[in-house]
Amino acid sequence: MRAEIRKIHEMMESADYVTDPAIATSVHLAMTLKKPLLIEGHAGVGKTEVAKVMARMLGTALIRLQCYEGLDAAQALYEWNYPKQLLHIKLEENTPHTMSEKEAAIFSPPFLIRRPLLQAISATGAPPVLLIDEIDRADEEFEAFLLEVLSDFQVTIPEIGTIKATQPPYVILTSNRVRELSDALRRRCLYLWIDFPGFDKEVRIVTRKVPGVNERLAREISRFMETVRTIRLAKVPGVAETLDWAQALSSLHADHLDEELVTETLGCVVKDADDVKRLKRELATGGIGRFVAAQS
Amino acid sequence: MGAPRNLTRAMLAFGAMLRASGLPVTTSAVMDAVRALEAVDVMDRAEVYLGLRTVLMSRMEEQPAFDRCFEAFWRFHAEEGEGLDGLVAAVQPVRQEEELDSGAIEAAREKQAQVALDDWDQGEAADDEPLEVPGLSDREALMEQDFSTFPAEQLDEVARLTVQIARRLARRVSRRRKPTRRGGVIDLRRSMRANLMKGEIIELRRRARRRRKVRLVLLCDVSGSMDLYSRFLLQFLYALQNVFRRVETFTFATRLTRVSDLLRGPSYKGALRRLTEVRDWSGGTRIGESIREFNQTWGRLVDRRTIVLLLSDGWDTGEPDVLAEEMLTLKRRAARVVWLNPLLGNPSYEPLTRGMAAALPLVDHFAAAHNLASLRDLAAHLRVR
Repeated sequence: MRAEIRKIHEMMESADYVTDPAIATSVHLAMTLKKPLLIEGHAGVGKTEVAKVMARMLGTALIRLQCYEGLDAAQALYEWNYPKQLLHIKLEENTPHTMSEKEAAIFSPPFLIRRPLLQAISATGAPPVLLIDEIDRADEEFEAFLLEVLSDFQVTIPEIGTIKATQPPYVILTSNRVRELSDALRRRCLYLWIDFPGFDKEVRIVTRKVPGVNERLAREISRFMETVRTIRLAKVPGVAETLDWAQALSSLHADHLDEELVTETLGCVVKDADDVKRLKRELATGGIGRFVAAQS
Repeated sequence: MGAPRNLTRAMLAFGAMLRASGLPVTTSAVMDAVRALEAVDVMDRAEVYLGLRTVLMSRMEEQPAFDRCFEAFWRFHAEEGEGLDGLVAAVQPVRQEEELDSGAIEAAREKQAQVALDDWDQGEAADDEPLEVPGLSDREALMEQDFSTFPAEQLDEVARLTVQIARRLARRVSRRRKPTRRGGVIDLRRSMRANLMKGEIIELRRRARRRRKVRLVLLCDVSGSMDLYSRFLLQFLYALQNVFRRVETFTFATRLTRVSDLLRGPSYKGALRRLTEVRDWSGGTRIGESIREFNQTWGRLVDRRTIVLLLSDGWDTGEPDVLAEEMLTLKRRAARVVWLNPLLGNPSYEPLTRGMAAALPLVDHFAAAHNLASLRDLAAHLRVR
């Protein structure tokens, strides 16, 4: 293993992020090749966490742009501070300044609201980590706009001029695959798919994040989750659910799983009424043994 | 930057191999791959794999193909630990294999296309011609006639009308609201400029709120019992796919096939040829299982702004329970589920097949699809609350 990748691996682990070589390699390449990294995966597998850990690791700022339907440039890039402009105009009412002077005054940097993309571009010092979270929730038009920004990291504000990043930020995009992303965006990015963790990784995550859980319980929880994910559910539980559940079990001072305990706390694992019903049915027919027995 | 030339050559060959397997690998991605190899431990096969995957793969679905190619690329000389030398040495043989493969595929494709054309060429119109609207009386007659009774010489007309209807439908669905003087959201930026010297905002500038767009998912039954209608409905699907941006199309009989990309293109003939390659157009229908497959694999395409159009006669050889369950899942996710049934045009038809009976309560709109008029009237139902 390359020393840099091992170092990233170690740093991520020490930042309390249980990782694997695939994630470490992708992060290393995103930093070396200076290209955006698109991370896809089911909800709750720790996609967003990668960006946070990366910022912590590099000791730099994390700038987050949360996407949603209807997000536009004014929310993502910049906007003028209208109330402040208005106030300024009012205060200047009886001064002898000319129209163009007034205009120049209110369309100057102090009146500019820097939204995440502009913040990332105009950052000074060490390049920040720009997290564009859940890009699949934004509209296709926004995606096209984003492509433009990501390709040259410069923004032209008509009243001020062009702002260009001195050092382009590290960019992480995440997607839950609510919508297919355009090929153009995919082409521009490196790609990482984060799957549900395997058994060993999940055990490590549980023991690391929920210290009150003993080794046996952690293994049983992970085995249970592994089995649950093979059942067809409306919402397959992610690592977030595993941790919620482990936390709940730990506060109940559980040291192993039994049927009653599982039934009582099932709400931590699945969060859809039909899923709860289905899981209860599976538990009733197969018993708990099926879920926690070592597989193969 | 001294990337060894043979390394670049190896990556170019690997890129070509991936492209032949359907991955959209660009030359700049190949250049990134060369740089990536300089940033990883090239003696560590697992790391080379992870690195190349990060750079050259762009969606999870490509992984099986990527893995196969990577495996093939290393197979020749690269034993564990042999590293980059194996990678480079593997270039030549792979090239040959690739040519061989693609040649064979090409030949098979040709043959299939021929079969497809034999079947369909009577229905072909020159697709690139501008649309002509036939005389009103002809047109009305065509609109009402059942698809299954059209003589061969009228098929061109029908095809053209189908395209026209699809266009209108698409426009209807995706039209943006016109800008108005009232309503909409206030455009502060323009208001500020307009009122700069007035000291306060007197006149508000407005901007129409952007209308959120609707997405369509089409699921078309192409089983034997639908044969008389399939060709018209496919024409309709083709037209929709090409005039309406946000649409995904699937066909099914006993299994589900995503055909969105196959339908995309300037010529209907070409689209049909591509469709024939994935043909599963006869035998029984397992609607429930097909929708299950859709829900499992493509469920993410459906949200509260999505209208699902299901085109089927409801003759199902699968389990009605499965169909009911999957329809429920679909209905929960989608804005609307519309079932189009060509048999509904027949006055004596009652939706009594077990499948239909199971699905009917879960459908928002149940309509005919046996003639052009029924397709035209569809527009009213393609709206989200």
